[in-house]
Amino acid sequence: MPLHTLNKAPGHNAFSDCIERLAADDALVLLGDGVYAALATTAAASRLAASGATIYVLRTDALAAGVATRLMSEATVIDDAGFVALTEHWPQQMAWH
Amino acid sequence: MLPESAFDKDGFLRRLDAWTPAVAEQIAERENLALTPAHWEILQLLRDYYQRFDSSPAMRALVKYTAQQLGPEKGKSLYLLSLFPGSPAKLGSKIAGLPKPDNCL
Amino acid sequence: MATTARKSVLVVTRHAHQGSALGRSALDAALVSATFELPVTLLFQGQGVLQLLPEQDCTEAGIRNLRKVIESLPLYDITPIYVDAAAAARYALQAELLPPQAQLISLDRQRQLLADHDHILGF
Repeated sequence: MPLHTLNKAPGHNAFSDCIERLAADDALVLLGDGVYAALATTAAASRLAASGATIYVLRTDALAAGVATRLMSEATVIDDAGFVALTEHWPQQMAWH
Repeated sequence: MLPESAFDKDGFLRRLDAWTPAVAEQIAERENLALTPAHWEILQLLRDYYQRFDSSPAMRALVKYTAQQLGPEKGKSLYLLSLFPGSPAKLGSKIAGLPKPDNCL
Repeated sequence: MATTARKSVLVVTRHAHQGSALGRSALDAALVSATFELPVTLLFQGQGVLQLLPEQDCTEAGIRNLRKVIESLPLYDITPIYVDAAAAARYALQAELLPPQAQLISLDRQRQLLADHDHILGF
C-alpha cells in the first residue's frame, strides 16, 4: 500500500500511468499541476474516485491553480504539515512526475 | 522613512505591502517630483491596476486603463508624461510601490 | 501568409500554471510583441486552458495569478483570446468561467490560426 504523489495534469502520461496502478487501499497526494486532476465533474476526477484510493490535495497548490473552490467531493485538502504527517505514516512512496 | 535596503538597485520598492503615502513621498523626492492631487489620482489608479491584473502596466495599457477609469482627457500619453516625465509607466509604478513593469522596454 | 508590413504573431500556450514558468513566458512574449505594435493572437491549447481558471489565489504559493494577467490583455489590444474548445470541455471549463474576451474554437479553426500567422511562438 504505497502513498502516491502526482504533480502532472490529466493528459500527461504520468497521470494515466499513476491512475492505472492506483489500488483501493492506496493514498494519492495531488500537488503542483497534479491538483487539476481533482477538478469536479471531469473525467479525470471520476477515474480518481472510481479507484477507491484516498485522494489528498495540497492546499497551497490548489489555491494557486484556482481549483480549491471546485474540487471533487472525495478529495481532502491538506497543508504542508499534513503532507509531512502522511509521508511519515506511509513507509512506501511512489512519485509520479 | 524606509531604509535603502527596502529598495532594489533601480529604486523600486521590494515589498508591495511596505508602501504608504509617506513612502510615495520619499520615492518622489528622490525623483525630484512634487506630488499633487493629479499625481495621487494616477498613483491610486496604478495600485488598483496591480490589484486587478497582478502586474504593472506598460505605457500602452496605462494609457488605455486611465482612459477607461478617468476619461479620455486623462487617458493620453501627453497628460501622463506631464505628471511623470520620461516614462510614466515606469516612474508612476515606482512611486506607487509596484514592481518594475515587466515589459517596459 | 499575410503580406502586411507588420508581421502577425501567434502565441500558442500549452502548459498548465503550476509546473513550469512557460505559461508566464507565453504571456510575456505576447505582451512584448504588443509593445512592438505587432498584431498578436493568443491561443490556449491542451493543458494551457487551465491557466484560465478563475479564483486563483497565489498569495501562499508566491507565483503570479495568470488569470488576472490574462484579463489585462485587452488593454494591450490582444483580444479576443482563442481557447481550444475540446480541452476546455475536458477540464470542465464552462464558457461562463472563462474571461469575457475568450472564444472557444474547434481544431479546424486552430489549424487555420496556425496557417494564418507570419510567426508562431510555441510555449
